[in-house]
Formats: sequence, C-alpha cells, structure tokens
Amino acid sequence: MTGNYSRPLGLTLFFLTIGFMVLAWLGNPGQVGAADEIKLGEINPLSGHLAKHGQEIHQGILYAVAEINAQGGVAGHPVKLISRDDQSQPVVALNQAQDLIVREKVVGLVGGYVDSLVGPVSELAARHHVPYVASASLQRGLTARKNPYFFRVSRLDGIVQPVCHFAAQTFKAKTAAIFHLSTPGATEFADSLKSCLEQAGVSVPIREKFRPGWPDFSILLLKVQQTRVDLLVSGGFFADNLILVRQLKERPAGLKGFLAPWGVAYQSFLREVGPGAEGLFGACAWNPGITWPGTEEMSRAFVEGFRRKFNEDPNSTTMHGYTSARAMLAALKAVFAAQEQLSGDTLRRALAGLDLTLPMGQLAFDEHGDPKYYQQVVVQIQQGKMVVVYPPERATGKVDFSLAMR
Amino acid sequence: MSVSTWPWAQIIATGFSLGSFYALVALGFSLIFGITRAFNLAHGELIVLAGYLAFALWKFYQVPFLLTLPVSLLALALVALPLYLLLRRLKEPYALNTLVVTFGLALLLQNLMLVMFSADYRLIRPDFPVFAIPGANFFISASQIILVVLSLLATGVVHVVLHYSFLGKALRATIQDAEAAQIAGINVNRMALIGFAMGGMLIGLAGPLYGENMYLYPTAGTGATLIAIILTIFAGVGRIRTLLLGGWLLGLVESGTVLVIGSKWRELVAAAVLLTLLVFRPKGIAARNQE
Repeated sequence: MTGNYSRPLGLTLFFLTIGFMVLAWLGNPGQVGAADEIKLGEINPLSGHLAKHGQEIHQGILYAVAEINAQGGVAGHPVKLISRDDQSQPVVALNQAQDLIVREKVVGLVGGYVDSLVGPVSELAARHHVPYVASASLQRGLTARKNPYFFRVSRLDGIVQPVCHFAAQTFKAKTAAIFHLSTPGATEFADSLKSCLEQAGVSVPIREKFRPGWPDFSILLLKVQQTRVDLLVSGGFFADNLILVRQLKERPAGLKGFLAPWGVAYQSFLREVGPGAEGLFGACAWNPGITWPGTEEMSRAFVEGFRRKFNEDPNSTTMHGYTSARAMLAALKAVFAAQEQLSGDTLRRALAGLDLTLPMGQLAFDEHGDPKYYQQVVVQIQQGKMVVVYPPERATGKVDFSLAMR
Repeated sequence: MSVSTWPWAQIIATGFSLGSFYALVALGFSLIFGITRAFNLAHGELIVLAGYLAFALWKFYQVPFLLTLPVSLLALALVALPLYLLLRRLKEPYALNTLVVTFGLALLLQNLMLVMFSADYRLIRPDFPVFAIPGANFFISASQIILVVLSLLATGVVHVVLHYSFLGKALRATIQDAEAAQIAGINVNRMALIGFAMGGMLIGLAGPLYGENMYLYPTAGTGATLIAIILTIFAGVGRIRTLLLGGWLLGLVESGTVLVIGSKWRELVAAAVLLTLLVFRPKGIAARNQE
C-alpha cells in the first residue's frame, strides 16, 4: 500500500488536470475552439403523419445552414447540422432531443412542427440550458411559463387576428362556422377565433372538431347548411382540407366563403384541387411572391437558391424552418461578435436581443420568446394565383365575392 | 316527406357508406386472421401500398378509377403470397410471432413508401357525380354508393365461397379448428395460402377506396390497421357477414352522434358502444350463445 503514497505528485496532478478538463468540457457542451465546427441540432417529423410539413421545415433549415456555410460559416466556424426524425411522436421527439443535447452536445436546437412535439422538447432544452427556436408552434401555454431558453417564430395571434378581422371587416360575415382538428394548437385556434369573432359581432353557431383523417364531412356540412352560415373556417391541416374542399364542392352548403389558414395557401394544394380551389381563402406568412415589404430581393434570392438546391418551390412552412434557423445563426454570430464564450446562456441572451428583417417579416422576440411582429396575410385563390386580400396595407387585390360563393 | 326528416336520411346514407368503408378496410384482415391466425400488423401498410398503386395508375396513366380496382386486387393477391411464405416459417406461439414479424414488416413498408412516394399527401379524385334530392338537404355521392355496393359485393362473394363450395367448407373448418381440419385430411397450408390470396385481393380492393375516401401518406396504414382490428373484434373473428353489419352499426352510431350531440362525442360514443358490446357479447355482435 505504501507504493501508492510514493506515486510522483506530478503524475497525480496530470491526471487531475485531465479529469477537470474532461468535466469542464462536459459542462460546457457548446464551447468551441477557433476553427471548430458548431453543432446545431434539428428535430422534425421527417416520417409519420406530419412528415410532409416536417420535411418542408427541414428543407428550410438545410438551406439556411448551407447558405451560412457558403459564406464561410459563423465567425469562421462551419456549422454542422445534426438532423433527427421524431417520427411525428412526442416520445421519440424527446428521446432525439436528449440524444442531441447530451451525446451530440449541440449548442442549440431548431425545428419542430405542432405543439405536441415542440412542447416536450422545449421543456427538456430548458432543463439543459440549451436554447431552442421552434419553427412552427402556436399554443400559448408553451411560452406563458416564461421558459428563457425557448423561442419560436410563429404565434397564435398572428393567425387568429388577421383571419378574424378579415371575416368581420372585409368579408363582413354575419355568421361563421368553425371546424377544427382535435390537436391542442388547432383547438386553441378555434377557441381564440370564436372569441374574437363574437367580440367583432360575428355569431359562431357551429364549432365542431374532427380527428386527422376524417373521411366524411357530410354530416358536418349538413349542419352548416341547416344553420345557414356565411363563412366556414377550417382549422384542419393540408390533407384534411383536401377532403373537406372536395366534399364541399360535391354538396354546396350555402356558404358565401371558405377559409382555411393551414392548407389552402400552398402551391401543392392548388395543384391537387385544380380549378376547385378558385375563390377559396387561405392564410400564410410568406409565399413566393408574397413577402414582407422591403425584402423582395432577399425573397427572390431565397426562392431561386431553394429551387436550385431542391428542384422545387419553397412554401410558407419552408420559410418558417428557414426563419428559425436564421434566427439561431444570427444569434450565434452575435455571440462571436461580442467576443463572448459560446454557451447556452450567451446564446439565449443573443436570441432575446435579436432584431432581424427576413422575408417572413421583422423578427424580434418578446420576454416570453414569442415573435413580436408575426402576422399572416389572408389570400384568395383567383385564377390559380394567391391574391393577398387582407390586411389592406398588404393587399394585392380585392375579394372576389362571386368567386368565393362558388 | 317533410324536409325536417331528411337529416335522418343523410345520417343513414353517411352511416352506411362510412360503415361499408370500415368493413372493406377490415375484410382482408379478418379473413387472414380467421383462416391462419396470423395477426397481420402490416395490413394497413398493404392497403396504403394498394392505394399508391391505384393513385399512380389514375394520376400518371389516366386509368379510370374503377379500372384500378381489378389491377390492384390482382397485384395485392400476388403481394400476399410472399407474406404467406414468410409467415409460414414461423413457429409457436404463432399469433404472437406473426405480430412481431408483421410489425417489422409494417415499419419496412412505411420507410419504403416514404422513399418511393415521398411524404406528400395523395388523394385520388375521380369525377364522380353527386345526387341531390331537390328541395331537401340530402346529397349522396356516387363514391358513397360505390362503397356500399362494393362492400356488399365483396362480403357476398366471400360468403358464397365460404358457404356454398367445397373449398369454403375446408376454409371454414380451418377457421374453426385448424388441428381438427388437418386430422380430417384438409391441407391447412394450402388453406392458409388461399386465405392469404383472398385476403390480399380484399386488401387490393380496399386500397384504392382508401386513397379515394381518405388520403395516402406512407404511415397512413396505422389507422387502417386499427380500424380493421376494432371491427374484427366488434364483429367476431372470422365472421365476414357480421363484419359488414358491425361496420354499418359503427358508421350509423358515429354519424348520428355527430348530428345529434356533436362531433366531439363521436369517438367517445363509438368507444362506449364497443366496450358495452365486449362486456355483453365478448365473441362479437353476432356470436351465438354457447354454453
């Protein structure tokens, strides 16, 4: 046993130093050396029932990272994107986030579609002090608790307000019906919209929820017809709206208009539905040709670059992915510009202080991590094109009421 | 008939067509499970695969929708054969082993379809007419009529084959007791092969209708498998005719619930009916009381 005590002190100190260095590295996962790559984590539903939208967001994020790397990275550091598929399941999303944070030691997280997937990841990210910028999240509860590491580029009011004010002021609906998915975000959307419409003097006698993949809306449309509402608002996603619009065409319910914030304002929807989409209303934050005033050149460059990279057109969902990644990358740049050490806290502070102008609009976060200026526009499909009809200051055309009634 | 009675006509039309759709989705599963005791968790994925085949024929080769049905029917009968060969190698506990293997197969098919067809939602939209009764809030589409007719036809054909042919007797004997059937000289392996082929044809029939009434995406099959399992339990294993009755009952209950008390109660009422049935008739709605 005496041999242990005779071990040279220098060797012990050497091992202790190595040990401390390993611990210090584990404790500061985001710290990078001068030419080291920066690891950015992404979680999206790349398979499962939300895969279409997850892949759209994924493409937007891929594009943003490729764009920054083509410019030499962030302060000379190449950005390595580590993408994970949550399979449209919250448990998988949580496991993948855990893996990205603990094993891959990413500096931040981006991506996410629907609150049931984003919510658990936001809680985990907060526990590990890793900032997370969600691409598509609406539920108010997620930011109400003031999670300082959670930011998102969309918010519920940015959809509810334009839809509500369009219905009341521009469309001048007296009565409206709301069909919505049974997901938390869509349910909260329906609650908020109903409340807003009623405050604006629009009566909402019908509010019905449905599960994704509902094959037959005929009974719900019968209710709409019996109640004689002016406007039907669908809080369903893309695919549900495909079925609903087809059945609406088959059995007119006496409506003066149909509006679906999620689904209609997509080129793929127009391709699927064809002339049947004429007159329908949708909402979007961005689309090729619909961009925030002053960002036309930036938007055009994005569309062209995106087409070159993916051989297809980007859409509003893609832009949400791009915007979330751009926010994270801008915050990383800000940390390096301030010559601060890269950590969860410095990155979080940089995100909180961001003020960017991107094709989707001005992006700055409030104290809850919600985007201050996120606002969608209402569009009407006229001759196969999306015409902005609300708000008036961004309108590119007028509502065609006769087309809407068809 | 006054206009106020038409909502009930709409409930009946919707309920029957919805129930027929459920039955068509479940027929192949019920038949394969009844004859072979193979719990095919890849059932929904095979339906979606058939749907994609019909979508491709309709969209890219302009094949009329109704003509995609026989093509898909034959194609899935062929696809069911390798499935049979795969599952026949499994040992006891057979049902449990088939469950595990077909779960893996379902994942494999989902990923294959994701690569082949992308995650985009696909909907088959044939230009079917809609019939309306003037002055009444009643509409019925050709699509709904096709669902009812095809479900009756498929159920009828399977019933006739099972009850009025020598092959059917052998198949029913295998459904009732495979060991006893083997002792009686029936080649149960051949019966299983025929069961898979027939089940594959029924899956092939359901696929295009799934793509026309729902929408297709690579993991849509999970929902279809769930419908098939629920309805098979609802009707009783191997009971093909009562599968249709069970489907109609479920469709009518769901449609009536939506109109009378609201859509948010639809699943709850359907689940309550199913649970009540399982308590009082655990072998299915048409099971005879046996002491």
